[in-house]
Formats: sequence, structure tokens, C-alpha cells
Amino acid sequence: MTKIIDLSIKEKIYRSKESRISILNDFNLEVVAGEKIAIVGESGAGKSSLLNIIGLLDRNYDGEYTLFGLPTNHSDASKLAQWRNQKIGFVLQESALINSLIIEDNIKLPFLYAGAGKKGQKEMKDFESIVDAIEIRSILKKKPLECSGGEKARAVFARGIIMKPQIILADEPTASLDVENRERIVALLFRMNKEFNTTIITVTHDLEMANRHDRIIHLERRK
Amino acid sequence: MKLFKFFVSKIFLRRIIPGISIILLICLSNYITFTAVRTVFSTYQGYQEIRGLNQDGNYIANLDPNSTIDFGAIELDKTTEVYNYLSSNFDYAFYVDGFMVSIPNRDDMEISLCYMNKAHYDLTQFNLSQGTGLTFDYRFDGNSEIPVLIGKGLSKTYPVGSTIDLEDPALGQEITLRVQGVLEQNAYHSNYYTLNSKSYYNYSIILPVNEEFLNHANLDLRVNGLMDIVILQTTNEKISDLRAVIQNTLGLKLNFFGQQDNNEYFNEYYFHSLKIVAVTSVILLLLITCLSVWNAMVSIRLMLKDLTINLLVGLSYSKLRKMFYSYFGILFLINLVIVFSITALNRYGCWLRKDTTFVTYGLFGLIGIDWLSLLAVVVTDIIIGVIVVECMLWRIKKVPISLGVLQ
Repeated sequence: MTKIIDLSIKEKIYRSKESRISILNDFNLEVVAGEKIAIVGESGAGKSSLLNIIGLLDRNYDGEYTLFGLPTNHSDASKLAQWRNQKIGFVLQESALINSLIIEDNIKLPFLYAGAGKKGQKEMKDFESIVDAIEIRSILKKKPLECSGGEKARAVFARGIIMKPQIILADEPTASLDVENRERIVALLFRMNKEFNTTIITVTHDLEMANRHDRIIHLERRK
Repeated sequence: MKLFKFFVSKIFLRRIIPGISIILLICLSNYITFTAVRTVFSTYQGYQEIRGLNQDGNYIANLDPNSTIDFGAIELDKTTEVYNYLSSNFDYAFYVDGFMVSIPNRDDMEISLCYMNKAHYDLTQFNLSQGTGLTFDYRFDGNSEIPVLIGKGLSKTYPVGSTIDLEDPALGQEITLRVQGVLEQNAYHSNYYTLNSKSYYNYSIILPVNEEFLNHANLDLRVNGLMDIVILQTTNEKISDLRAVIQNTLGLKLNFFGQQDNNEYFNEYYFHSLKIVAVTSVILLLLITCLSVWNAMVSIRLMLKDLTINLLVGLSYSKLRKMFYSYFGILFLINLVIVFSITALNRYGCWLRKDTTFVTYGLFGLIGIDWLSLLAVVVTDIIIGVIVVECMLWRIKKVPISLGVLQ
């Protein structure tokens, strides 16, 4: 089993004028390829902060993070941006779409940042197969504001997997969806894991959903 | 390039009000910078020019603002008396321009004749592109040729050594001029009382005035010559006597301003005005910079979600910085082209209107001070651009970009 994430956080601090909040104290996480992990905990425990760190969006913490064998703390920011494009997929709530773009352009957004040769026929084929698998062909030319919550959630999901990432970070992807759409997204997520051995890390408040993962990590708010 | 096009068309320009506001603010800053810098440079040039005349012991004449001239009441013989008195008691610099004539030339311009005596010529120190300087010891009779300098615009039609026949409006007779030299392009003469206003010599003929010439000149030239006459190296007492002689003989009330008077005048009007122009411009530019930063902050707030999503899928801060700089670079370039076009239209308009004393040579007629002012605009744009872009990036990084932004 290949270890792809080796994270050791001593402390992550949020400062404001009035207060200083310390989270993720002495937090350690090791993840192997293909694992499904759920992160649960009360609000303010640091779930989204942890995803920011794992997703290479935040390097402002006291700790060490090795991803795919590369220490990320002092890596070139452009290199990390490239990894966010090619190795990490973010699956977020349905509001995470650019309203001025049609759904098709929203889904293809990662292609803009892919290097030369990454926008060819193969990518178009991937796009077509994902569109069919997720059943969103009918909304491709619509703008997000013209779509339902479930349709937008699927579009966000499609954008998250369009580059065939090795890790999917899902942040409350089903929080505002009805049961039918929630089941659809969860099924798609696990299908990625099964078919491509994609590592799934999901932040959720939904314990039922969390129980369907291989491992559950509880984060607690410091009193 | 594709990414930049995407950002401009799908993100930056989608926020219409902040987008238009920043364009207008840049336009305003460019206009203020250009106008202020050109005014300061042009006034400085005028000041440098008049500094040659404004020496200790020199007095510059000016018609008393409360006095009026009745040309009909002035007799030619009386002006001769005044000039004789001047020649006997003083060295003086004589300069008159604005007499227009029509002679054939390539651009079909009317030609301005400028008359100056040796003292004025020596103080002016023209730079020539061809030929030699003026000589003032020519004999003036009906058959002789008067050596002249001409502007660049006439040099193709009248090369050095050629002659020009014309009826001189100051003499009221036909004369023949021989081209002795050609002035450098865009040689100019500043208005003594509006230092940033200039007449250009590109379509002028400069005629040397000696005593004999003056004796044959008509009333217009003689009286106009007294209006701006500069008396050299004299004393206050002698100037008082001259003032009395001119008033008693011609009925003209002239004021003569010495170096100290002129310096006080420059300090009171020009230096003070320039200070106001400079300080006001700097304050306005600071205000515009603050407004631009504020406008940029509003834009960032509106774009934050879109930028976050782009950062999630592979955008880096360094790429974002490049795009901001490219976007502002293009906005600045468009505004610079607008300022350039307005200036060019203004300068080239002088050619189209055949405005003899204002036509200038250069790309679309733009001259040194225009290019310097455009350079100042570029520098101002770079400073504002760096401040705005770095503030935008600071704001974006301050959030910081995270999944929380999207929730």
C-alpha cells in the first residue's frame, strides 16, 4: 500500500484582533492510496482547515506535510498549483460554480491550467464520458443560476474529477441536497474510488455518510 | 494567453461598474499628469529663454495697462527721435514678430516675419541646422539683399543661398532676402508674460534689423518694437529719463521692469502658480490612487468566489499577479494611446488649420515636451499600477483563499 499523505500538525492558529484560536493541535494523519476517509466534528474544530492544508491551499501552520513523497512546506507555489490542477480534485457544495460561465465552461475550467498537450482529444473524451455518467448533458449550455441544486452539485462534482485526480477532497458535498441527489453524489464519489483507486477524503456532518468510509477521523474543538 | 483572455472577458470585465470606474480613474490620472508636467516643462523652457534677457542692469519694457495707444496720433518723425535717443544713450534688444506675408512654399503656409536687432540676436543664441548666423552690417538700399534665417519648413523651398522676394509689411516696399541659415526644427520664442505659451519659427523668417533698416521702417514696426524693448546694462535713473522721453514724445506710457521686478513677478505669478499646479496634481494623483485602490478592493470582494474557484483548480498567486499586471498594463496602454491621440490631434490640427506659429515637427507634430509628459504619464501609471495590483494581491492573500470562502 503506497502512503500518499503524511501530515503532522503541531498547531494551526487563527488570529483576530480580539482572539487567538488554536486548532488541529498535535494532529497526525497518514493516508494510503485508495483509502476513503471521513472527517467529522463540531463546527470550528478545524475540518475545513484540514482540507485546506491537505489541498495545498494553506501552508500557514506549524507542522510538516509530505504529499506523494514530496515535502510541501517549502515547495514552489507554482508546483503546488500544478498539483491542485492534476492530482487533487475538490468536490464542494453546489454554490462553488462561477455564475458568469455556462456549466460546460465551469467543468472544463481545470483544462485552462493544464500544461500543453492536456487539452487534446483524450480530455474531450473524458469530458464526454463524465458528462454522460453524471447525466448533465442537458444543462451544459445553461448558467448555474438556471440549474437546480442537484444539477449544480453534479456539475461541481464533474469539475472535481475531470482531471482524473489521485485524491478527491470533498467538503460537505451533499449538505444542501435532497436524499435522491445526495445518494447520487455519494455513489459517484465511491465509483471513482472503486474504478480508479482514487483516495477520498470527505468532510461531513452526516454520520450515516461518514460510516460508509473506511476510516472516520473525529476532530474536537479545544475547550 | 488563453487564460488571460478568459480572465479579462469572463472575470475582470464582468464587474461593469468597478471596471468602468478604474478606466475613468486611470484616464483622469493620465490627463492630470500630462497637463501638469507639460505646463511645468513649458514654463521652465520659457523661463530659461527669458533668463538671458533678465540680467542685472537690464530693463524690459511693457505698455502700462492703464495706457492706450492711438497710432493715428503718433508721428513717424517722433519715433525717429525716440530711436535716436535710444541709440545715443543705450544698448537695447529689439524684437517684433507677427507680421504675416504670403510667399510660395511647399505647405502653402502664411509666413511670419520676425525682426530683431543684433543685441537681441546675440542674447537669443539660435541653433542652426544649416548655413551660418545672421549678419547685421548689410547696407540697406533698394537693390541689396538682406541676409535672413528661415525656419525648417521653408528650407526645402528656399535652401541656403537662395533668395526670397517679398513686399515687406514693415517697410511697405519690395525687398530681396538671401537665406543665410536654417533654424533647427521647432525653434521657438516664448511669450514674456505667458511663459508656457510659445510661437514656433518653423514657418518664420528672421530679419536682422540695423539702424538703417529701422530708419526705413513704418510706424507699426517702430511702435511695436518699443512695447517689448529690452534696455541693456543701464541704471534706474537713465530708465526714468527714457520713460519720460517716450511719454513726452509719443504719448506712450511704458513701464520698465528691472531684474528684481521681473524676479518678483515670476515668483509671484509663475513660481507660485507652478507650485499650485504641482501640489494640486500630486494631491489629485494621491486621491486617484486611493480611489483606484478602493475600487480594486471592491472588485476583489466581487471576484473573490471566482478567484477562489480558479485557485482550487490550478491558478497560482504568481499567475494571478501576472494577469493583474497584464490587465492593468493594457488599461494603461489604452489610456496612453488616448492621451497620445488627443495630443497628436491637437498638434496635427495646427498643420491642418495652417496655423503658422504653432506648427511643429515630430511624429504627428509631437515635440520634446510632449514626449517627456507622456513619459511622466507612463511613470505615474507604473506607480499606480504597482500599488493597485499589490494591494489587490495583499487583499486576496489576507482572506485567505480557502474552502471557507465558498461556504
